[in-house]
Amino acid sequence: MSKSLGIFVTNPDQFKHVMGITKAAKAKGSNVKVFFTWDATHNAKKEPDFPELCKIADDVSICVDSYKNMGYDIEDIPEGLEPSKMATQAQHGIIIEDYDCYLSL
Amino acid sequence: MKILNVYRSVPDDTTKKLVEIVGRDRDVENFDLHVDSPDYEALVDKIFEADQTICWW
Amino acid sequence: MEYNKVCLMYRNKGCVVDGIRSALGLAVENMYAYGCVMDEVEMDKFNELQAESLEMLRDMEGDVFATKASNCEINDLEPITIEELGEKLRDMTHIIPYGII
Repeated sequence: MSKSLGIFVTNPDQFKHVMGITKAAKAKGSNVKVFFTWDATHNAKKEPDFPELCKIADDVSICVDSYKNMGYDIEDIPEGLEPSKMATQAQHGIIIEDYDCYLSL
Repeated sequence: MKILNVYRSVPDDTTKKLVEIVGRDRDVENFDLHVDSPDYEALVDKIFEADQTICWW
Repeated sequence: MEYNKVCLMYRNKGCVVDGIRSALGLAVENMYAYGCVMDEVEMDKFNELQAESLEMLRDMEGDVFATKASNCEINDLEPITIEELGEKLRDMTHIIPYGII
C-alpha cells in the first residue's frame, strides 16, 4: 500500500509543484492532504487549477486567519473548497502527526 | 537515516552550510525542483523512500 | 511516546510573524516547536500579542532564535549561529524552510 503524503504550502509561487506532486502521488495510490498558509492562501483565489487540486487531493484546506490577513472576505469561499476546510493551523499538526511523509513547499 | 534534500531554487551558501551539517554521516539524496520539467513521479518515489524530506527555499 | 520536533526557518521579513504563529500552532498540538529568523532580516519590535505568542511558545518548551544580534535585542530572541542552527536541525523530525527568501 502506498504511503500517505501531507504537503504544507507556505510559498505562493509553488502551486505548479503542488499540482504536479499531488497528481504523481495520487497516481501511485497515495492519500494526499494539502494545507495552505499565509500568502500561499492567494493560490486558492488566483490559481485557475485550485478547484482541480481540490478534486484530485483527498483533503485540501487553507488557514482562514491567513486568508483574512491577505485581504479576503472569509465568507468568500474559494471555488472547489468545502467551507469546513477554511481551517486553522491544527491542519498542519494533522499532516505532521497522521501522514507517513511530509513535504513543505 | 535517509534524508532527501529538495531545492526550490539554486542553494546559496547558507543553505549549503545547513545541508552539509544536517546530512553529515547520513544517507543523503538530492532533487532539483527548479528545473523546467521536474520528474514528479521520481520525486514522489524519493519522498516515499526517505526518512525525512527537507524542501529548501 | 516520541514527540515530534519541528523547526521553521524564516529568511523573509514578511514571513516571520506568521511563521512564529505556525510554530505556536504546532506547540499547542504537543510538539516541540522552534523558529529561527535568519540572514539580515530586520524585524520590527513585537506588538503585545506577538510578544505573548513568544512567551506561550517558551512556556511549551519551544523557542525562537535569530542569527542577527539586533533581532535578538529588540525582541528578546535567543542568539544562534548558522553552524549551531545546523546542529539543532539534526535533532529535528521536521525541518521547514518557511515561505520565500
